[in-house]
Amino acid sequence: MNANSDGTPEYARIFVDGLKEAGVGLVTALPESLLKSVYRLCAEDPDIRYIPVTNEGEMPGICAGAYCVGSRALMIMENSGIRQASEPIARFSFRSAIPMVMALSYRGDFGERNFWGHNHAQTMEPMLNALRIPFRYVRRVEQIKPAFVRAFAHADASQWPAALVFSGECAEGVDYAAD
Amino acid sequence: MRRIEVIRAIAPLVTPEDLLTTSLGATMDDWWNHQPADNALFVGTLGSVTTTALGMAVSMPHRRVIAIESDGGVLFNLGVLCTLGAERPANLTVLVMDNGIYESIGGPATHTGRNSDIAAMAEAAGCINCRTLTATAAVGPAFAAMLDDGEFGYMVAKIEPGAHPWPVDKKKPTDGVEDKYRFIRYVERLENKTIHGGAQHY
Repeated sequence: MNANSDGTPEYARIFVDGLKEAGVGLVTALPESLLKSVYRLCAEDPDIRYIPVTNEGEMPGICAGAYCVGSRALMIMENSGIRQASEPIARFSFRSAIPMVMALSYRGDFGERNFWGHNHAQTMEPMLNALRIPFRYVRRVEQIKPAFVRAFAHADASQWPAALVFSGECAEGVDYAAD
Repeated sequence: MRRIEVIRAIAPLVTPEDLLTTSLGATMDDWWNHQPADNALFVGTLGSVTTTALGMAVSMPHRRVIAIESDGGVLFNLGVLCTLGAERPANLTVLVMDNGIYESIGGPATHTGRNSDIAAMAEAAGCINCRTLTATAAVGPAFAAMLDDGEFGYMVAKIEPGAHPWPVDKKKPTDGVEDKYRFIRYVERLENKTIHGGAQHY
């Protein structure tokens, strides 16, 4: 994995740069390991309002509130978090058609060495499909910035959630394929 | 005191320039009949009334934001108290209508109807200006002070069970999607900006 002189992975810098270019000023997250440098950079960045939460079920409300007053917000979680967040996501989308964009780290992608990681992968796509959330995988660094732009455009126009799933070159501490 | 009495006490203190979120159930009808403008988002998601207000408050630090919560809603998502305690947005005031029961579904007790104390939990979670009120006469002055003190505030109003018997033509007639658009268009006019624009047609 490419990194700069202070050890920050290239994907994480581009992730945060991409958020800013997409107009995101608010990030809420339940920190985990695969995107750990992203959380650190968001917490340190003076241009990003970063709100860490206690569980993923807090984040849909924060993003919905931000959207309804005209701010762009992103929620970040491990893919297991979609199970916890599904109740408020369902209500905000199916009941009120409030868009929100979420970034999921893909724990359990092909090559997962931890037995506990596989259930996250096994339930992720069924959960996203049950919630009717369109999603795209982001596995190469050059995909990050256009993915954010398209995700927010898609969510805004459809008035519905959209998700990006990060793996390959865009996840750290694991050896998942980048293709 | 009754919930409608609390609503009547706070409604004159909420201006059209403020933003507000409400809990689900009968509180929606109460606020619908007292709101000064379309500046309320009627949040139909149990456990997300305060988080929605938090998202508004940090996005619009120049506006006062108010969340009208319920005991059932707070108990559904208790971790929010810790997030509020960590963030303490200066422009956010939370009012919890605590009747000790799940009234909308027939009245079984919530845990505040047994041994739980929401204001004490909020304070232990790091929230500031936490108060529990039991008398109607104290609500207005205390709420006004919380709105104007420039700090985060968390008020629990201990209310009696019992919904106000609004006639059918006074009940909130809108669904969640209309509620969203009414609120968004109001904020667009208030802030002179576009939140949800038209299609590009290309």
